[in-house]
Amino acid sequence: MGLINPWFLALAAIILPSIIVLYMLRLRREERTVSSTLLWRMLVRDVEANTPWQRLRRNLLLLLQLLIALLLLLALARPFIKTQGIGGRNLILIVDRSASMGAVDVSPSRLEAAKAQALQLIEQLQDGGRATVIAFGGKMEVPAAATSDRRELKRAVQSIELWHGGDSDMSQALSLAGALAARSPESEIAILSDGEVTVPVSVTLPGTIRYFPVGSGNNNQAIAALTLEAGGPGTQTLFARVLNEGQREATRRLVIEVSFGGEADFQLFNVYDLSILPGQDQTVTAEVSGEVRLVRARLEGSDDLPVDDLAWAVQASSDPIPVRFVTPGNRFMAVALSLLPRVQVTAYLTETATFTDTPVLTILDEFMPDPLPAGNLLIIDPPRSTPYFSVTGELNRPLPRPVAGDEPILRHIELGEINILRAAQLQNAPWAHTVIDSDAGPLLIAGEIDGRRIAVLTFDLHESDLPLSPAFPLLISNLIGYLAPGSGGEAAQIRPGEPLSIPTGDLATAARVTYPNGDEEMIEPDDGVVVVAATQQIGIYQVELLQDGEVIRSINYVANPYSESEAHITPITVLPIREAGGGIVGREIDKEGRDEWWRPLALVALLVLIVEWLVAHRGGVARLRRRVSGLGSRVSN
Amino acid sequence: MSEVADLFDPAFLRTLDRLTLITRRPLAGVMQGERRSPRRGASVEFADYKPYVPGDDFRQIDWNLYARLERFFLKLFVAEEEVTLHLLVDASASMDWGHPNKLRYALRAAGSLGYIALASLDRVAVQAFGGAAGAAGRQRPVRGRAGALPLLNFLSRVRAAGSAALLESCRRYAQTAGVVGPLLLCSDLLDERWREALAALRRRPFEITVLHILSPDELAPAFEGDLRLVDIEGGEPVEVSADVDLLERYQERLAGWRSEIETYCAGHDINYIFVPTTIPLEELLLDILQRRGVLR
Repeated sequence: MGLINPWFLALAAIILPSIIVLYMLRLRREERTVSSTLLWRMLVRDVEANTPWQRLRRNLLLLLQLLIALLLLLALARPFIKTQGIGGRNLILIVDRSASMGAVDVSPSRLEAAKAQALQLIEQLQDGGRATVIAFGGKMEVPAAATSDRRELKRAVQSIELWHGGDSDMSQALSLAGALAARSPESEIAILSDGEVTVPVSVTLPGTIRYFPVGSGNNNQAIAALTLEAGGPGTQTLFARVLNEGQREATRRLVIEVSFGGEADFQLFNVYDLSILPGQDQTVTAEVSGEVRLVRARLEGSDDLPVDDLAWAVQASSDPIPVRFVTPGNRFMAVALSLLPRVQVTAYLTETATFTDTPVLTILDEFMPDPLPAGNLLIIDPPRSTPYFSVTGELNRPLPRPVAGDEPILRHIELGEINILRAAQLQNAPWAHTVIDSDAGPLLIAGEIDGRRIAVLTFDLHESDLPLSPAFPLLISNLIGYLAPGSGGEAAQIRPGEPLSIPTGDLATAARVTYPNGDEEMIEPDDGVVVVAATQQIGIYQVELLQDGEVIRSINYVANPYSESEAHITPITVLPIREAGGGIVGREIDKEGRDEWWRPLALVALLVLIVEWLVAHRGGVARLRRRVSGLGSRVSN
Repeated sequence: MSEVADLFDPAFLRTLDRLTLITRRPLAGVMQGERRSPRRGASVEFADYKPYVPGDDFRQIDWNLYARLERFFLKLFVAEEEVTLHLLVDASASMDWGHPNKLRYALRAAGSLGYIALASLDRVAVQAFGGAAGAAGRQRPVRGRAGALPLLNFLSRVRAAGSAALLESCRRYAQTAGVVGPLLLCSDLLDERWREALAALRRRPFEITVLHILSPDELAPAFEGDLRLVDIEGGEPVEVSADVDLLERYQERLAGWRSEIETYCAGHDINYIFVPTTIPLEELLLDILQRRGVLR
């Protein structure tokens, strides 16, 4: 409990006595001569004998006035109680909405708890203070920017919803917050998150940073993988991997359901009781009929993050995927490609590169035709610049390191010790993100531009020991899966929120997308590719390619909720973010928020004022009441 | 004379001629009059026989009885004497109050009753308490119609002033009054010791009638706001915050006080008549006092 303007209370020493003095002056009563005060004396005696506090009642008005003055002065002194909160005038709220915030270890969920905390912080915002609401997780959004309208701020906070897929990369949000905080002197950045976030190494922000960790539990088991791959003749291999991210051994029941038709036809296939040690996983492999089109797996029982207890897999398409491989000769690549099922490689020597077919993917190894061929591209060791990037030099013995976060191309890959003699130095590729980085520059980038996917591996495979490592075939598999969707075992799996590009070929004129919630949408192909952008929902997406209203091909994709970074839900209480003044931001022990109390005080003062008015005019009020009741009785007569 | 005419309308006084004072029991007077007296005296009404003892008036011996019994008996007759009406008017400052004025009302009532008594050959003694009615505030008893003018003159000279000191005045009057008779006390009784005052009057066998006179603004004061009430007789001032509630309680208190007086009077053979000054005097004399057995 404290006062912001305590000197107003000192005013009480002047104001309260002056009210009393004024009251006494005012109470020089009007003198009225009466024939005798005998009856009045008797009356007063009666009254005082009956109710000892009647003497007080005569001073009721004075007491009420003193009370009003006291309440108003208290309100002016602005009493507050310290709470976990904020004190600045420019508040920047960073709310984590990544999938891990869907954990239910705090009721009703971490996100709701963070939103409640955010609302409380907005409530504590000083009058005239501004606030910005930033939501991160997957994509960064700013639902409310630098406004002092509390209603808008609250609406903005309420509008934040859980974002499946994507990672919890806070760096963008932090740099925006830093820029906003630098503009205004009394800035305060409040981070509401469970701490399972990616922050840039040793980031320093201006202003005060407060971190409000959300969450308490870490018990989570997740279906980390569920795939359906062609096995022997007439069979498929079902593979499921269940991971225990918690810190205690967990026993869960994995229920596998299969469907030979659509989503409505799921039937129980098998049930596995799994006992998993903390940090370990268990896999389930089963032979299923080749006719199985959809598989659904779920974990029975409950944990703190129920959303990733569910996964789907679809039958891999058996259509061959044509891939064009232009190379002066690359055995490593050829072997890796040959291991991929359904990939139909057409190899060209660079000397004889005239293309007649229209493949989904073209792999350009140490070769750069002009113009670049259509479709998706995997460029290995680019000899020169292209319109999409510039080659500006060479990197000598770069030390590769994977980027932080949940990179699908690096899924299941441990890079380990890889030596590279020489790599091209790439620049001016803003469309791409770095997949494998090094101290000097990127070694593998991937991204989408002009409706196609392009990945660039900047070094010659022969000048590296990467092809000798076990990661290589996996990397190529992932790369081909990324560049030619539908080729690998997880080909039909997309990450929620990741746009889905489907090459339609020449025949299809439209695509009908059925979303997991049942909504349908018609999408026109653009340049031979249908792009489904709204893949936020988890579940099964059905894409039907239409030619003149006839379905010529139907493909199922699934968006599974599991995400490696989000499945780990142990709340983290210290974030490696530095305030400009120094110190690492952790859980705030010294709670400096203020919950001000002047509003209820002013309200009480207003109520007392009304009471005072009624008391002062009680005669008139009673007369009015009598007149009204008299009127009423007259009317009833 | 004009003051008398101002107070007493001659035409009104003439209507009073047909009224007579009622006495509830025979009362002794000083001179012969028209009312039965407890004494024996000369009249046509036989009362009793009494054995003769030397010294008796032998003119009253009943010789017919002596002829039969050969013993002397006196034949006694009921005496007919005047009664003395005592008019006590409270002329304290508190009586000079209200519209219509209480003192004026009291003086007119007293004058009217006095006139009625004088018209039936009774004697009237009048006393004004407090006030400035002259040296003693007391009129020598008058008798017969001839006394009407001095009586009315005296009453018209009474001016209210000071405190009545009701108890002392009543006690002194009871001690000094010559003969007892009907007694009319016109007062607002706004004195804490009204009970003792009435008790003092009852030491002598007066036939007491109390005319309790209050003005309308005493019955229902129209006050509002914070007031300091100052007693015109110099009593203790009272501070009140007048509101509807308080005025209601005042009414209750007033009613309680009146019923207290009434109960006391009923229990002590005193005729209590409450008169707000809004009641016309004619109604008081021709209706109320007749109903209450004071006049006929």
